[in-house]
Amino acid sequence: MEGEPTELTRREHIRYLKQFLKLLPDTLSSYDSTRLTIAFFSISGLDVLDALDEIKDSKENICNWIYSLQILPDADGNMDRCGFQGSDTFTIRVDDSVQSCNKQFTSGHLAMTYTGLASLLILGDDLSRVNRKAIIKGVRSLQQDDGSFCATQMGSENDMRFVYCAAVICYILQDWSGMDTEKTIEYIMRSMSYDYGFGQGPELESHGGVTYCAVAVLSLMGKLHSVLNVKQLEGLKRWVLMRQVTGFQGRANKQEDTCYSFWVGATIQMLEIFDMIDFAENRAYIMTTQDSLTGGFAKWEDYIPDPLHTYLGLSGLSLMKEKGLLEIDPALNITQRAARYLKKIQGTWE
Amino acid sequence: MSETSSEEMDNVGWVFYSEREEWKDVKPILQEEGSQPIVAIAYSAKFKDVYDYLRACLYNNEFSERTLELTKDALILNAANYTVWQYRRMILQHLDKNHLEKELLFSKSMIVDHQKNYQVWHHRMVIIQWLNDAGNELNFVSQMLSEDPKNYHAWQYRQWILSTFKLYDNELQYTSQLLEDDIRNNSAWNHRYFIINHTTDFAESAVLKEISFTLNAIEKATKNESPWNYLRGLLIHTSNGILDPQVIQFCEKHYSQGNRSPHLLAYLIDVAYEKGESHPHKPETGELLNRAIRMCNDLITTHDKIRQNYWKYISYMLEDKLRNNKLIKCDSNIVLEI
Repeated sequence: MEGEPTELTRREHIRYLKQFLKLLPDTLSSYDSTRLTIAFFSISGLDVLDALDEIKDSKENICNWIYSLQILPDADGNMDRCGFQGSDTFTIRVDDSVQSCNKQFTSGHLAMTYTGLASLLILGDDLSRVNRKAIIKGVRSLQQDDGSFCATQMGSENDMRFVYCAAVICYILQDWSGMDTEKTIEYIMRSMSYDYGFGQGPELESHGGVTYCAVAVLSLMGKLHSVLNVKQLEGLKRWVLMRQVTGFQGRANKQEDTCYSFWVGATIQMLEIFDMIDFAENRAYIMTTQDSLTGGFAKWEDYIPDPLHTYLGLSGLSLMKEKGLLEIDPALNITQRAARYLKKIQGTWE
Repeated sequence: MSETSSEEMDNVGWVFYSEREEWKDVKPILQEEGSQPIVAIAYSAKFKDVYDYLRACLYNNEFSERTLELTKDALILNAANYTVWQYRRMILQHLDKNHLEKELLFSKSMIVDHQKNYQVWHHRMVIIQWLNDAGNELNFVSQMLSEDPKNYHAWQYRQWILSTFKLYDNELQYTSQLLEDDIRNNSAWNHRYFIINHTTDFAESAVLKEISFTLNAIEKATKNESPWNYLRGLLIHTSNGILDPQVIQFCEKHYSQGNRSPHLLAYLIDVAYEKGESHPHKPETGELLNRAIRMCNDLITTHDKIRQNYWKYISYMLEDKLRNNKLIKCDSNIVLEI
């Protein structure tokens, strides 16, 4: 329609992602408690761009920083609060010891633990400083009676996002004792809507990001085809494919948004029907949200880019084997290169 | 530059905690960021000041009226800080219960400013749990939904209120109103399903009423995916499922009038496939399957090109069904001949 397809401005995206690892302006103070997820978007984004060399001098430093956010068992050996925190906002120095300003308010957060472990893997760390047993205990302590997960011990909502985070952690650490998998599966299935998409919980509206979480959990458990019957599977296939407008929307009758090219795209990939989407339309939409001057992707055209949409825009393109990008593992949301490296270090644990 | 000046505007009349007489007894505690922090933030002087005092109060285990104010300032600076929200809740638990009513006002202002933030909605849920009174919550959520009728957080919270306090009575009417405003509002359709479930448990008479409501809505915009999905959701609870004669008749009427909405075609295709399963030997089944294959072809070439590879897949399944049914038919002929 418009002649030449838009080029991916690789150099600009690298520059854009690298700056997030350094210093953010105070206008981004709302990222303060989730700095680790921003680091993940940046690091994994650079990996998708096959540009990890760009940060090779700071790898060790980044790994040390991530490890500094790990909550270790307390003096009594209690592990319920173990995991990673998103930042050091409440870390202080008393005399010569670096500590949390109040233990009662110190706890891992599932989204931070997941993005922390993933970032370490991408950077080539062997996870030897991860207290695996404690992390898994911490995960287990967050499962609710209905099978869902809270994010942290400090009071949080419970929904499908954290079910996904918990499952990725169990998968990475190869220890599913972090959850009652039967209960988890029950929660997922009760959250399947009448239109065969998944909601954050039972009876809630089907949503592309949530459907990704639900399907990825079943996929990581290796149970996608045993848990869903043919009718559910075929219904789900239609629901996800119906999300393509040009790019993808997250819910019926909503506007497209770059992030769903990954969330819904990766779900379609896990369902092994990725060749059923329209590549050209999807790519064209994602590229309208690229900022070719500053680098980065936004959710919509002419909007300001942000780290999440930049990472998911790149991952969405990677699912379609965009030239110059490394392929992504759809369920783990890291490159296949990083996923292979995970297999390798898991081999050393047995 | 404009950022600086707007920040200065926000800070008119702002007094740093370090300069407040009533905070003189507290020694602020700096954040320990390490020598080479990653994703560091160039905190404003105000942010540092507030959080230095917050760290000190956490360190001192102070749960007082003044820390309630301090957490308010900290949350205005970063509404996503779940630790500060938790601290605030613990402070509230230490204070007189009449603070909870006032907390709803603060919560409201935070939700209005951060409508898509998870923490603000969770906080409100906890406060309402403590008060154990739905008060005016439904009106509040309606107000938020009037600003964004598809706000997922608001809908999730609304369903929580409804099921916790059993307030379903006028809710069907509310969804009708929202669907009148926007018949494509999928959140409202989903909510309607929730209400029908909790008020009727999908009793036959209720489902019949809903089917006609839905067909009526489809008639207004046949390409609207939401009521088609809702319709299928209702039919799960009927004995005929998608083979419901009334619905088939409705679809056939629109098809014969030349309507080619992908959702209409998809419905008739599914009907053909299901008849291929349930009535493989009926003579009209073969015709239905053949027509469904032609419908797939129309979707591929004209009406739903973006999903052409999907419709090819469906077409193969239909062809497969047709072939198998013929084989079964041949087999039974052979049996008869013998």
